Amino acid sequence: MDLYMRRRLINHLVIGLSMLATAFGLLWLALVLGTLLVNGVSAITPSLFAQMTPPPGSSGGLLNAIVGSLMMTAIATLIGTPTGILAGTFLAEYARASRLGEVVRFINDILLSAPSIIVGLFVYEAIVVHVGHFSAWAGSIALAIIMIPVVVRTTEDMLRLVPDTLREAAAALGAPKWKIIVMVAYRAAVQGMLTGVLLALARISGETAPLLFTALNNQFWSLNLDAPMANLPVVIFQFAMSPYADWQTLAWGGALLITAAILLLNISARLLASWSSFKQ
Amino acid sequence: MPADIAIDRVAAANGRKAVGDAVFRALTLFFAVLVLLILSGVILSLIAGALPALRTFGFGFLIADVWNPVTEKFGALAPIYGTLVTSAIAMLIGIPVAFGVALFITELCPKWLKRPLATMIELLAAIPSIIYGIWGLFVLAPFVQEHIEPALINTLGAIPGIGILFEGPPLGIGVLTAGFILGVMVLPFISSIMRDVFETVPPMLKESAYGLGATTTEVVWRVVLPFTRIGVVGGILLGLGRALGETMAVTFVIGNSYHVHASILQPGTTISAALANEFTEAVGDLYLSSLIALGLILFVITFIVLAIAKLLLIRLEQQGGK
Amino acid sequence: MISPAARPLPSEPRPSDLVGADLGAKPPNRPVTAPPIAPVRRNPSPDGATAPTPAPAVKVEIRNVNFFYGKFHALHDISLPLYDRRVTAFIGPSGCGKSTLLRILNRIYELYPNQTATGQVLLDGTDILAPGLDVNRLRAKIGMVFQKPTPFPMSIYDNIAFGVGLYEKLPKSELDDRVESALRRAALWEEVKDKLRFSGLSLSGGQQQRLCIARAVAVEPEVLLLDEPASALDPLSTQRIEELIEELKADYCIAIVTHNMQQAARSSDYTAFLYLGELIEFDETETMFTHPKAKRTEDYITGRFG
Repeated sequence: MDLYMRRRLINHLVIGLSMLATAFGLLWLALVLGTLLVNGVSAITPSLFAQMTPPPGSSGGLLNAIVGSLMMTAIATLIGTPTGILAGTFLAEYARASRLGEVVRFINDILLSAPSIIVGLFVYEAIVVHVGHFSAWAGSIALAIIMIPVVVRTTEDMLRLVPDTLREAAAALGAPKWKIIVMVAYRAAVQGMLTGVLLALARISGETAPLLFTALNNQFWSLNLDAPMANLPVVIFQFAMSPYADWQTLAWGGALLITAAILLLNISARLLASWSSFKQ
Repeated sequence: MPADIAIDRVAAANGRKAVGDAVFRALTLFFAVLVLLILSGVILSLIAGALPALRTFGFGFLIADVWNPVTEKFGALAPIYGTLVTSAIAMLIGIPVAFGVALFITELCPKWLKRPLATMIELLAAIPSIIYGIWGLFVLAPFVQEHIEPALINTLGAIPGIGILFEGPPLGIGVLTAGFILGVMVLPFISSIMRDVFETVPPMLKESAYGLGATTTEVVWRVVLPFTRIGVVGGILLGLGRALGETMAVTFVIGNSYHVHASILQPGTTISAALANEFTEAVGDLYLSSLIALGLILFVITFIVLAIAKLLLIRLEQQGGK
Repeated sequence: MISPAARPLPSEPRPSDLVGADLGAKPPNRPVTAPPIAPVRRNPSPDGATAPTPAPAVKVEIRNVNFFYGKFHALHDISLPLYDRRVTAFIGPSGCGKSTLLRILNRIYELYPNQTATGQVLLDGTDILAPGLDVNRLRAKIGMVFQKPTPFPMSIYDNIAFGVGLYEKLPKSELDDRVESALRRAALWEEVKDKLRFSGLSLSGGQQQRLCIARAVAVEPEVLLLDEPASALDPLSTQRIEELIEELKADYCIAIVTHNMQQAARSSDYTAFLYLGELIEFDETETMFTHPKAKRTEDYITGRFG
């Protein structure tokens, strides 16, 4: 066939393949979410939220795991958010071109994508071994370490988007640097920074591996931060891998809960981002 | 009104303002340095924990295909092999699909569809690893076992040469399934980086190619990709970094077998799956230390991959291409 | 340097008139000294006769200032005075250093590394380039308005209160008064008095710029630096800003950078023409625009380049 026809054919082929690829991606999204819904919805009963994790063979709920997850996520956020924001502020306001800034940025991005299981190992070696037992503190710290690089990155990016003319205008009035940052730059970037925190929160909500080595799990109700604490991801891991049907049902239920929470956080983050640009 | 900026009068006001600035700067510097300390902490603790195993086995640890907690003989070959092979399969699936998605979203799709489509693909990335894991175990693995693997064994398995890649009974779980799930998991990352980089191509560049009568495929292949190749490679490496370290999804479907097989239909193990499955049950210092040594190896591999990716992306920014 | 020769009254023929149109014979780029320290300003009175007003005092004296962006020598040995209660315009083609010069006066260039200024800038006799000076206090005395309107992401009220709050802790009623008086001076009060709690970003471009002017005058400066304040605005808003400058002149020493020569001719009393980082000519605006002394000035003003 002549050159022109061949080019057109190839073009149509590639376009077709790219549409196929997109459909492929969407297919898996639908499949995963679909099976999650189908298998998990039957587990969403009031008892899921009222009872503790049961021994195999009996019925129960996930209350201790839900509460445990909420607690550790909350503590991780309390530790990780200010750390991340302040470190990101340093990179955006004091270290745009400095050597130290470049190094921190580089290391931060590596930590951002590093396997979370490694973080779990680190906290195990650093805390669990020394203290002698697994604990919710260790779990919270592991989650905080995973959260920090995300918040650092988004804070720095959002602060960099604030135009320098705004900072100059504040400086021209005689404001000291810290006031320029806190009262002008933060205010201008607040929605973006909040979006970053929400996304980091979504990220740590599903993390399992680090908790395996730090908070482990707890069959019973416990609010003791110094002891192993139940949490949804590890419970799902344990129950799903087991041969017991009711445990597996609970695992699906827990999986649905986590996914719903994460999707909600992601959607909120997006809404926040688009609302702020709409306001302008 | 005379100006009262006499130099001597200034010390008091100057002092007050300067303290505020100094404190704030010190605060932000502290937390920035903390990030560095965390990384060094990770490296140091891994090395410290792995030392006993490394001292016992030496560099042979990397190539020994044995894992026996009873006799306390450990070798990392099977986990390393599994990690590399599953990641390779993930890349083979993920890269073309990610490219197709990025191509579709940036060049072909109607304007109103762009945002929702991009969001949906990004949702794939938001789903946590453990969800992929249980889905893989309960849904994908049985499907693969009943339909895909027999088909592969009968067709590709019969061809001499490649056939050894497809030997063995159809189990459903195994290296192939794990690699496939990893591919689905990394494709949104690679795709979104590709998309970002594709959008930085100046419209005028593309228009001049279109204006010469080039087809969409040609514009992308001959103009967009070369313009963005550094970013694309950086994105691929980032995806690879994720695939290497992915834990929960792989743990559920890899089969946890410590042997190196040529066939990808066989079960195997990866470093992260080994850690997840055995860490809490490991008894004995050498066992534990070997596991941590595995973690150290994984960290080194991912660090190298991510560092290269980052350096490439930095070079891209410096060129102004980003 | 400032020569003490007295300038003749406007009714007498000026020496340059007697010399005739010999501007072409002058060598280009001749750096011109500033006019004598006691110039006379023409001030038409209602009966048409022109009577000299009292000589203005020098508020800011720029002496031998050089400026470097890293190794690049951007401003060469600039010396000129800024008179109190007068408007001095800096004009010149793009990149000639007019904004650079303006930004030295409140040391805003120090926000960026690798930018250095040498020489002296005397504000009422005190060198503000001296090390050890409280720069924040300096910026309360010398205010700046930028090219693009930059309202802070706060309410209109808070935009103004922000600057005041940096220096004084005022009770609410006093703060309200300060905000109102600043907005009145910027000719914005009537338009925003009912929406002080609205975000500063909700205003139009021209209003935002007047907000920035109000913000700058709220801290009660003595000098106002305006860096192309109307270049981002439509002609109507530009006119309002120029009217505002005419009003503000009564209370402040104003320096304005503009690339719009007609604006300089309309709004300023004195003009400094810069080219490639050098001060080519400094004179009363009317003089410079009708009888420029340097060839290059004439070329620029008549549009031969730039």
